[in-house]
Amino acid sequence: MFKVIKSGLESSIQDWPGRIGHFNKGFPPSGPMDSWSFRLANLLVGNSSDDAGLECQFIGPELRFLEDSVIAITGADMQPKIDGKPCAMWESISIKAGQTIEMSYATSGARSYLAVAGGILADVSLGSRATFDAAGIGGVGGHALKDGQEIKSGTHRGRMFGQRLLTESRPKISTNCTWEIEVVAGPNDDWIDQEGHERFLNSEWKVSAKSNRMGMRLEGPDWTFSEKAFTKLPENGSEPANIIDQGYPIGAINLAGQTPIILLNDGPSMGGFINPYTVPQCSMWKLGQARPGEIFKFKVISVSEAQEKAREIKLLCSDKSLVR
Amino acid sequence: MIYDTPKFSPGGDRYILIEFGNEMNLDLNFKGQNLAHALEDGAIEGVIESAPCFATTLVHYEPEIISYNDLKKQLSLLMESLGSSENIEVDSRLFYFPTFYLDPWTEECINDYRKNINSEKEQDPEFVSRINELTDVGQLVRVHSGTEYWAASLGFWPGLAFMMPLDPRCRLTAPKYNPPRTWTPQGAVSMGGMSTAIYPVASPGGYQLFGRTPVPIWDRELRFPEFEGEFCIFRPGDRIKFVPCGLEEYEEIDRKVAEGSYKFNIVDYQKFSVSNYKRWVSTLDTSARF
Repeated sequence: MFKVIKSGLESSIQDWPGRIGHFNKGFPPSGPMDSWSFRLANLLVGNSSDDAGLECQFIGPELRFLEDSVIAITGADMQPKIDGKPCAMWESISIKAGQTIEMSYATSGARSYLAVAGGILADVSLGSRATFDAAGIGGVGGHALKDGQEIKSGTHRGRMFGQRLLTESRPKISTNCTWEIEVVAGPNDDWIDQEGHERFLNSEWKVSAKSNRMGMRLEGPDWTFSEKAFTKLPENGSEPANIIDQGYPIGAINLAGQTPIILLNDGPSMGGFINPYTVPQCSMWKLGQARPGEIFKFKVISVSEAQEKAREIKLLCSDKSLVR
Repeated sequence: MIYDTPKFSPGGDRYILIEFGNEMNLDLNFKGQNLAHALEDGAIEGVIESAPCFATTLVHYEPEIISYNDLKKQLSLLMESLGSSENIEVDSRLFYFPTFYLDPWTEECINDYRKNINSEKEQDPEFVSRINELTDVGQLVRVHSGTEYWAASLGFWPGLAFMMPLDPRCRLTAPKYNPPRTWTPQGAVSMGGMSTAIYPVASPGGYQLFGRTPVPIWDRELRFPEFEGEFCIFRPGDRIKFVPCGLEEYEEIDRKVAEGSYKFNIVDYQKFSVSNYKRWVSTLDTSARF
């Protein structure tokens, strides 16, 4: 159990893969934005992969532990300290009752993950503890942590402190403000003309400050469309990027008029704009670690290449990556 | 147009979008919902879930169990075996929603938009009546409440149902607000494009407003047994009938909802038969309004 002394910018309880199976009622999966770092944190403290942990965004929280515990911090470096002394990331460490862990601002990356041995306990809504703030479900009372809350964790499965990770098993968080993001063409790639595709793939896209767990807005050149966008039936809507309302994959690059918005873990499940490209699961973690103002360059890969990369990450999130 | 064979396109590495056609036609949604039922019953191993929409269905799958190409093949075979939409017969609940048309709350919301965002914006009921060539807002109420609606799809927001009029004589169209509103009261009855929606919670929005229902469709606290333990009341394939009511009835229901004693009016023994529905539609003079 720990007490929230300062909640940080928006620290929320998440689990992976989140709230699956309710998309047809409009529930997004939620869950950690950088699921690679999140899974490694659970791995380090000996949790099962579906145990809940804490996602800290941009500015981390200050938490006082009320019982002895084992924790691990992964993801963005928020300069964590225990009772004022810097503590290690990417390994499991023990924390004693009465000690305080303090996280500051992220020096690189955007989201830090804190796993507690035994998993964080919280409201299970529709099969998941993941916080979906917009609808107020999951987490603690449906929202991010608040100052003064006491958060319980489950029973340890053994004392797992002192476990480290092979360096090559960790995601490489960009430190030069530039990211290469893999994308798969579709589902609506045929609405964009050849020049439009080339412009998308050859341009630099800036992450807008108007981004959150629902969507990440990108700033860049205008889009041009294929004939299909102009000869469609009126029920598709008046703008070239409008289409008859359709389901949105998580990771879809959704073209709201001329503004691309990458739909993230808390994003809308459907709507009336085209999705010319989709970010596959293997690259979603980069979206979770990119900061406003940073630059994206996109690279097309095939469906099977994307699936292979997801398998590789899954393998890295297993016992094989642990060093004892 | 309705495609002879559905089109498939990938949405990243774990979604596939099935496109049945590129027009607004209930038949495409019937197909999508029928496919969703078959997938829910476990027709294809590796499919996690599917979400039917108007002309498309989005399928979420586990690539470690089934490859994209195998999924495409199996979906084609499954859709062939399901046959034409004429054979579809599905359980469909019917909900009655008392609705205060031309109510003061949505009027206040429209006036607020006119005052702060766009002074040129015509009052929504007058605007929707005019562009649909109705004689007045009274006819808008008769036409809008004169049909059962089909919950074609749920999404955008949890529990938000996109509803299509089943009676072709009650079809209306309306563009969305541009720019959108910054707030809309919970329970607002509205339309955009060709679909009708009830706002589950107070939220920004873009649909034209002309009524309000006191009956909740989102129940965060799980207070009402009719939600069967879920946060939202609708499922795809439900039918909804708006029943005009006045201020007194609205307030009475509102009071019962607040104290948790409201009983939903739900009919749950009927099946929706696409062939019966089409037979009925073919007998109608669709040029007539109510």
